[in-house]
Amino acid sequence: MTFVRHSSSLILTACLVAGSAFAADDDAQRAAMKFFETDVRPILVNKCYDCHSKTKQKGGLRVDHIGYLKTGGDTGPAIVPGDPEKSPLIEAIRWKNDDFKMPPKNNGGKMTDAEIATLEKWVKMGAPWPEDGASKTVVTEGGFTEEQRKYWFFQPVAKVSPPKVKSDWVRNDVDRFIAAKHTEMKLNPATEADRHELVRRAYFDLHGLPPTKDQIDAFVNDKDPHAYEKLVDELLASPRYGERWAQHWLDLVRYAESDGYNADAYRPSVWPYRDYVIKSLNDDKPYDQFVREQLAGDEIAPNDPNVLIGTAYLRHPVYEWNQRDARGQWDIILTDMTDTTGELFLGLSMGCAHCHNHKFDPILQKDYYRLRAFLAPVHWRDDMKLATPEEKKAFDAQQAKWEAATAEVRTKIDAIIKPILEPKVERALTRFTDDLQVMTRKAPEQRDGLETQLAGLVERQMQHERDTFDPMKSLKTDEKKAEYKALQEELKKFDHLKPKPLMEAFVATDAGPKAPAVAIKTRKGEQQIEPGFLSIIDTNPPKIEPKGNSTGRRTALANWITRPDNQLSTRVIVNRVWQYHFGRGIVATASDFGKLGEPPTHPELLDFLTTRFVANGWHLKQLHRDIMLSATYRQTARREPNEVAAKTDPSNKYFWRFNPRRLDAEQVRDALLAVSGELDPQSGGPAGDGNATRRSVYTMKKRNNPNELLRALDMPAGFSSTAERQSTTTPTQALQLINGDWLLARARKLADRVSSIDDAWLAVLGRPPTEKERTTAEGFLKKRAGHVKPAPPKADSDDSLADFQENSPHERLLVNTSEKEGDEFTVEAIVSLDSIDVNASVRTIASRWNGGKDSQEAFGWSLGVTGEKSRYKPRNVIVQVVGEDENSNIGYQVVPSNIHVELGRRYHIAARVSCTGKNVTFTVRDLETPGAALQSAVVPMDIRSKISLGASQLVIGGMNKRSSASQWHGQIEALRIASGALPDKSLNANPERWTEGFITWRSADPLTSQFEWSGSDKKIAEANDPYRQAMNDLCQVLLNTNEFFYLH
Amino acid sequence: MPCHRYDQPTSRRDFLQTAGCGFGAVALAALMNEDKAAAATLAHRAAKAKHVIFLFMEGGPSHLDTFDYKPLLNKLAGQSLPSSFKPPITAMGESKSPILECKRTWKQYGQGGLWISDWFTNVAHHADDLAVIHSCASSGINHAGGVCSMNTGSVFGGRPSLGAWAQYGLGTENHNLPGFVVIKDSEATVVNGVRNWGNGFMPAVYQGVEFNSDGTPIKYLDNPKGVDRKRQRDKLDLLASLNRDYNATRQSNTELDARIKGYELAYQMQSEAPQAVDLSKETEATKALYGMNDEATAVYGRNCLLARRLIENGVRFVQLYSGAGSKWDAHKGIEVNHGKLCNAVDKPIAGLLTDLKARGLLEETLVIWGGEFGRTPMSEQGDGRDHNPTGFTMWMAGGGVKGGQTYGMTDELGLYAVEDRLHVHDLHATILHLLGVDHTKLTYNHKGLPERIDQNEGHPFTRLLG
Repeated sequence: MTFVRHSSSLILTACLVAGSAFAADDDAQRAAMKFFETDVRPILVNKCYDCHSKTKQKGGLRVDHIGYLKTGGDTGPAIVPGDPEKSPLIEAIRWKNDDFKMPPKNNGGKMTDAEIATLEKWVKMGAPWPEDGASKTVVTEGGFTEEQRKYWFFQPVAKVSPPKVKSDWVRNDVDRFIAAKHTEMKLNPATEADRHELVRRAYFDLHGLPPTKDQIDAFVNDKDPHAYEKLVDELLASPRYGERWAQHWLDLVRYAESDGYNADAYRPSVWPYRDYVIKSLNDDKPYDQFVREQLAGDEIAPNDPNVLIGTAYLRHPVYEWNQRDARGQWDIILTDMTDTTGELFLGLSMGCAHCHNHKFDPILQKDYYRLRAFLAPVHWRDDMKLATPEEKKAFDAQQAKWEAATAEVRTKIDAIIKPILEPKVERALTRFTDDLQVMTRKAPEQRDGLETQLAGLVERQMQHERDTFDPMKSLKTDEKKAEYKALQEELKKFDHLKPKPLMEAFVATDAGPKAPAVAIKTRKGEQQIEPGFLSIIDTNPPKIEPKGNSTGRRTALANWITRPDNQLSTRVIVNRVWQYHFGRGIVATASDFGKLGEPPTHPELLDFLTTRFVANGWHLKQLHRDIMLSATYRQTARREPNEVAAKTDPSNKYFWRFNPRRLDAEQVRDALLAVSGELDPQSGGPAGDGNATRRSVYTMKKRNNPNELLRALDMPAGFSSTAERQSTTTPTQALQLINGDWLLARARKLADRVSSIDDAWLAVLGRPPTEKERTTAEGFLKKRAGHVKPAPPKADSDDSLADFQENSPHERLLVNTSEKEGDEFTVEAIVSLDSIDVNASVRTIASRWNGGKDSQEAFGWSLGVTGEKSRYKPRNVIVQVVGEDENSNIGYQVVPSNIHVELGRRYHIAARVSCTGKNVTFTVRDLETPGAALQSAVVPMDIRSKISLGASQLVIGGMNKRSSASQWHGQIEALRIASGALPDKSLNANPERWTEGFITWRSADPLTSQFEWSGSDKKIAEANDPYRQAMNDLCQVLLNTNEFFYLH
Repeated sequence: MPCHRYDQPTSRRDFLQTAGCGFGAVALAALMNEDKAAAATLAHRAAKAKHVIFLFMEGGPSHLDTFDYKPLLNKLAGQSLPSSFKPPITAMGESKSPILECKRTWKQYGQGGLWISDWFTNVAHHADDLAVIHSCASSGINHAGGVCSMNTGSVFGGRPSLGAWAQYGLGTENHNLPGFVVIKDSEATVVNGVRNWGNGFMPAVYQGVEFNSDGTPIKYLDNPKGVDRKRQRDKLDLLASLNRDYNATRQSNTELDARIKGYELAYQMQSEAPQAVDLSKETEATKALYGMNDEATAVYGRNCLLARRLIENGVRFVQLYSGAGSKWDAHKGIEVNHGKLCNAVDKPIAGLLTDLKARGLLEETLVIWGGEFGRTPMSEQGDGRDHNPTGFTMWMAGGGVKGGQTYGMTDELGLYAVEDRLHVHDLHATILHLLGVDHTKLTYNHKGLPERIDQNEGHPFTRLLG
């Protein structure tokens, strides 16, 4: 990003230059250490430690320090550094000498060739060992080295005064630290960004959205010397701020709205957590409180739904509902929770100490389990509601009334259902191993903590049987079905008594007041572990006070994490905020402050900001102000490295300019919707799909089925905590951006809004084009369209009224009628088709359907022709129906005629849909081939009723909702819909002869008030207007430019 | 960024790693610059295999009815698992069900005398090329965990897939095509969806790209409706021109240049990819060899032929799913289920091996056959078998493996791997080894840790190499 570019245009070359930045501060020592840590030590640990380390020293030999190896065991030195041939260790592992083979056959056996070669190489290199000379380097219990204890991150946050610097550039204390480092490194800062750059940067940074033209003008023209300060305050006060910054937190907690396993079940009640994060940020809730609520909201304020929802933090791990290995699954869930908690709050890769003491940081395996012990009592609850005690009370009272009134009916229903359902539930239980069955059969109050957790997982699978049980499918006889149905009708009569359901709470509590045991299992046995903190900084036992039915452990953990003097958590959050503003943290590895992470570039600044942050009450907004009002933040990004910077700081770690970076996936998508004028500002509530026009934070996040555009732009998948996003560039990404429907549609909308080149530039880039750009754009329009201004609108469209075409005024013909066609009807039309969908969508002749498949609103039908990739083969005339089947279940069905039509040919098509006849009768006649035979087909249909009772209106040439792919493209000369299945003799290829039909439309007739065209607002059909095409292209190109995609 | 502090750009791999640390342009370099010299420094060992075709039988094919002959099965049919066997945890809780007989007839093939059942008589003719590994094991007992594990080494999502690692390690030979291509045998979704060929924590450049078996091979490859190649060119020229002006004063940001090149590559891919999958250039005899003239074998045959063409065109890793959506999952009626599926793939796979060999490509192409796990000796629902991740069969051919013999062993009923047990981590290490890559050296720094494909647990099974 910041390296002097070589003349070669090969990116590979540029990369080598990038690489040299690392070469500059490396030395052979480090390479050797890396080799040792990644290659050598693992072999020693895995293959030799069992018999030759702290606990056992067979033959008097230890291999866990170079000193021991050099001194050797009973038979003298084990290695001679530099000379593998003289090193007994090498001789032993080669297995050449029958009396001297290591590792022995009964304990691992011969090493692989690669391993032997590695150790040979290592000895040959002189057997380099980290911190050679220190007596102990391997982390051992309680025996940390001096160096480890002195590691910067474990030191208390220092009270630092900003350095005194002489510089006009400095605006606040942040800058003093930056300037001091500049002086030290002979760097100098960049000039301040101009107001256009600043306003765009501030909006994207705080809101994740580009400023509108008015917003830009307001700031650029503001004469107030504090215009920028005002802007930052205004942006922080807007609810858009929380929507943007919540995204960062959601990345960190691996927020997703599905389970993430194969079934990837939707989590319908997790969204209130997302709204909770947004609201907490907008309210500037102190960070310590925010943390406490997420770790222990249930213990702190069990009756406050606005706090309780924070514990959804404990529910984000992936989950497989039908996993039989309940123990294994719970172990994995706890591991995930522990790892994430370590990374997120403490900035340490605790996961590394799961199986052994951390190899690089002074984190004991015991410390890992201590942290885990705080979380071990967690129980995933499905029986809680997000409601106040008053609301719950009112609900219960009303529910009791309903229950009392329906007791008799429900008893009767149970009598029918239970004999079939209970065996299914029992079968769900007996799939588990015996021990799990035993604990699940215990009464809940008899179970201990672990049993509660595991039985909970088992019971979910039993509950699944109940939830998916369909009596109408399972009941054997028609009498029973009728009886059941009657009872359900009876039950419905009491619906007026039913209280409005309370919001389900996707939260967690403890499994009980007594915590399940946590143990480290080794070959030697088990060691019980109590909760505790990192040994290297705090060996005091935590103060844990049980609360009600809870162990109180998580409150103790939360209190420790949020202690004002916690040097880990406080630095970690301050560094994260810095990172999100600058694209790089003071510690660049924001979730790993350990030795494998990057050292801080400005440790004093980090401590200064941390101290200030805690002293100011843990408010993030003040921290944003401190950072954004600095001269450091206000620097321009438009600066190439000078000679010094290129040499000493090519990657801009020391902030000699603002770091340009690609917008995040959500910023890109939101910006596209904003500039096309489509952004729906609605906040909160359940997420929608990616076709909706709400902000991306409200786009459904299914782990296995991520939004395609967002994922292509590096949105994390939501499986583990993500602290830093990738920024990748691939050809398939480019294909999606240049050929994909979604972006094309945004470009069209944008082109609708702008009337000139200058307009387009202002809308997309927030500035007018330069002279050169204007000339280039004009050249493009001229080349593509022959002129640079729109053609004068034609007086009126002289298109034939039979033409149905997308992006024209005649897209679809909406039919106004209150009459319903019923469950038996005829659709007859004279049509010709110009194209089919390139995918599997169906070009629609007529419909009463919204495209849904599983709700009563979706009841309906459509008649159309299949697309290129349809499983029914292309150009097949089909009917789709949604209604109730014979068991009164909602069903969707495709009824294919398997009659295939040709493009560009006139046809007379009729479909007679009959629920009573249980079929659809198709007839198709080619009207252009004289004497062409009538093709017909009678195809069975399973849907039995209600197909005209959905929420959609009748539409000719499309569906209820505009959808490009299902839009008819071609002619519909005439169409009628009649109730009942008309007899053959009533069908007629001449529409003038049509008599029956409650809807009859002929393109030749004047349009009556019963019909209403729906189409694009523009009178000029884009497809036929080269200027409009060229303008679309220009807009699409602008939406693909680097300037649009980059924050600078 | 999770850069290892000791990092030095001494090899291509190292600076590709820095790609993950924010130098996005570099990621593209992996696709754009076929730099054989650089790749050679990475291959830690001269290897024959340069390409992989992974034939993934999704749902778990029964090793007991195909490649792992267990006469004891039929002797104990109808009885419970002998008490000498540790009862396994099974997905459907069928550990106590009676043992199910194998209805196949078995014959020995080739000089190595490999036992192969009558469900794979065509593949059997290549017995002397097959290295049949009887001792595979996985951690996933369910499809989600199993398929994820076989693809990424972990039962959970979030890690890069084998194809991504191969690409990361070896780069690509043709920058106009993706280096890692996935083709399914139906529109059904593979368990877990696209993340099976995902890049995990690596840059997106390494992810697998799904090709359609028919029609336009890659999503969004075609110009939008109504846009001809000239109009597309004009658009891209305008874009490049605006981007160049913008970049002129920002040359130190190599990502910007990478984005310009990304669009150019996309444009080239638009013309090259359709040619790579254009089967009209293949003779009828070739198509027949793959079984494309028979409805039962046409789909997989077509995909196998596409795989050969993609390999020829420089694609590094091709994965062909059979039974996408767990179709091999024969919990009941294994005879009908497996009979149909084996028939659908037997001839195409044999055709692929024949064709690769005839063209001299088998030596440099590692063909892998297998699923996410095998199936139990115990029955389920009378005539099916449950999942068995504790011992199952995969085979490899080509790419330098020593064929005509078996490796490892399951117990007498094929339940547990008992000799030379190869966990998925070992299999992945072995596959990289066959590609000439030392899996312990192919690391990607993520969150401060040098991540490996095998989560530091695998060992290559070097005996496979002839």
